[in-house]
Amino acid sequence: MTRAEAFSDREVAMCTVARMVENGRTYWAAGGGTPLYSVLLGKKLYAPDAQYITEDGVVAPEPLLPFEPMMTMVASRAVRRALAWGTMNSAGIHAQLGHMDYGVLNTLQVDQFGNINSTVLGEYGPGGRRFGGPGGADTIAACCWRTILITDQERRKFVRQVDFISSPGFLDGTPGARERAGLPRDTGPWRVVTPWSVYDYHERRLRLVARVPWVTVDEILDECDWKPLVAPEVEVLEPPTEEEVQVLRTELDVRGQTTDAAGAWITWDGHQYVRSG
Amino acid sequence: MTTAEMPAGHIEVLAEGTGQFHPVDPDGFRAHIRDHKNRALEPRLMTAREAVSRFVDNGDYLTYECNYLMRGPNPLVHELIRQGKKDLWIAGKFTYVDVSLLVGAGAASRVDCGFFLSTPIVQRALAQGTLEVFEYSNVIMSLRLQAGAMGVPFLPVRSFGGTHGFDHSGARLITDPYSNQPVTIVPALNPDVALIHAHQADVYGNARVFGTGIADAESALASKKVIVSAEEIVDTEAIRANPGATTIPYYAVDAVVEAPYGSYPGTCPGYYASDPEAVFGVFRAVMGDGVQQYIDHWVTPFDSFEEMLEARVGVKKLLDMRRRETVREGYHA
Repeated sequence: MTRAEAFSDREVAMCTVARMVENGRTYWAAGGGTPLYSVLLGKKLYAPDAQYITEDGVVAPEPLLPFEPMMTMVASRAVRRALAWGTMNSAGIHAQLGHMDYGVLNTLQVDQFGNINSTVLGEYGPGGRRFGGPGGADTIAACCWRTILITDQERRKFVRQVDFISSPGFLDGTPGARERAGLPRDTGPWRVVTPWSVYDYHERRLRLVARVPWVTVDEILDECDWKPLVAPEVEVLEPPTEEEVQVLRTELDVRGQTTDAAGAWITWDGHQYVRSG
Repeated sequence: MTTAEMPAGHIEVLAEGTGQFHPVDPDGFRAHIRDHKNRALEPRLMTAREAVSRFVDNGDYLTYECNYLMRGPNPLVHELIRQGKKDLWIAGKFTYVDVSLLVGAGAASRVDCGFFLSTPIVQRALAQGTLEVFEYSNVIMSLRLQAGAMGVPFLPVRSFGGTHGFDHSGARLITDPYSNQPVTIVPALNPDVALIHAHQADVYGNARVFGTGIADAESALASKKVIVSAEEIVDTEAIRANPGATTIPYYAVDAVVEAPYGSYPGTCPGYYASDPEAVFGVFRAVMGDGVQQYIDHWVTPFDSFEEMLEARVGVKKLLDMRRRETVREGYHA
């Protein structure tokens, strides 16, 4: 596979998640944006027998791509040729029963225990800056067996403690905290993927396990509000391939909104990849 | 004594949210059904204006399906604004612009949050104290409606525990008296009024929704007053010819409104695609603090949604939306 010579930060994160997608597994993709596009990319290139649902209750659709603006759920192109049509309650209940192997989410803010904030930055109440709320993410994070979280490697997003837990990670990080809060046994955060890095969890704490070639471990740690664990061997990720970026740009995110085409880009200068912006 | 040591059969409240919640009263709801729902097969077809005027009161708890961009009951939403409804408590689940439109119109003062766009007008209303928000998630809201639709006071759920949303909600964490494990319970939601846009309905209110959805059936059964707007009014013989396709039975429905293109500018799946330019337009309006201008342009100058479609959209664009909806499989009975 040919390495791509120019790509955006967000494209890197989506390609990294796409390569995690496995045949024979079920995914609940948060509706639209990087989670859904990552799963679709993985399904297209690596794991055609991976299946997904979204929160409108669609089961295993074969969407007609690209989507129209904002129309990533409910709309006919998004739910076309599904195996079943359901409702939000059917999606929630299927996950509650254990049918969803992986949940894929994105967020504003994540903390050392994988807790997710999509509700408010700053103090809760009139003083804080309010965002949309958990949407379907709370149920995804609570009930899928494993959760993959996509976010940006930025100090304001990687914090010791989120301002507000909208969707649960390992809560206070103590053993059994999720079960004590009534959440299903053996579920929880599994990976955090950013344009620069991949984290797993060691004893319920975030641990850096992989980086892209154009960013050092120190540069990544500089963009964390606290010092996360670092694996003894930090794997170096393969850059996106030509094929991956072609599918992303021509079939999935044709307007460049989700891939943040206006954001930072990485280019091959003949010797190495260089990140600008 | 720790939870694990509790004898089975004992219920203990381990944690409780402090958020205000719509009162739970299953017997009151049953009495309302007994006294106010029409169980005779009698036509209940009326205009959006009449339906909203008769069945939406100031201060009502209101839920709608799905949202302004996706099979929304938009003639009814416009009518709420046009009639100057006040002090509504909104089920803000799976929704983008609707909460901002209703807050901007001065129609909503409380919202239960699953997901809605937080916009300048929402931020301002929160800062001024004219809007209160209580926290849930999309699925928790639809499960609350499920409980309301079952006639039970609460429902155990396996998500939501451990979140800060829980603290600002009506949820409780209890010990399950059967397994002795901690479990979250959420209060049933029986809205005063539900607005639902269906693909087809007969004059009695037997309604069909095709494709995916959020909680159409649950909202209809859980709500005291139900207004169904429909793309098409079909003959009851067509309903009887395929009873498995009925999403909502007539006795749950108080009013039926014929509303072709009723989800404009959004899509009614299988019938017409969205109008992308107008979808961006309403997004820009709410994100850019232009709600009042939006309302002044699209809602208040008109006596009806149909009049707006004629003046602002036109036949050419409406037919084009229909032509662009190329996926039709599954959207018929």
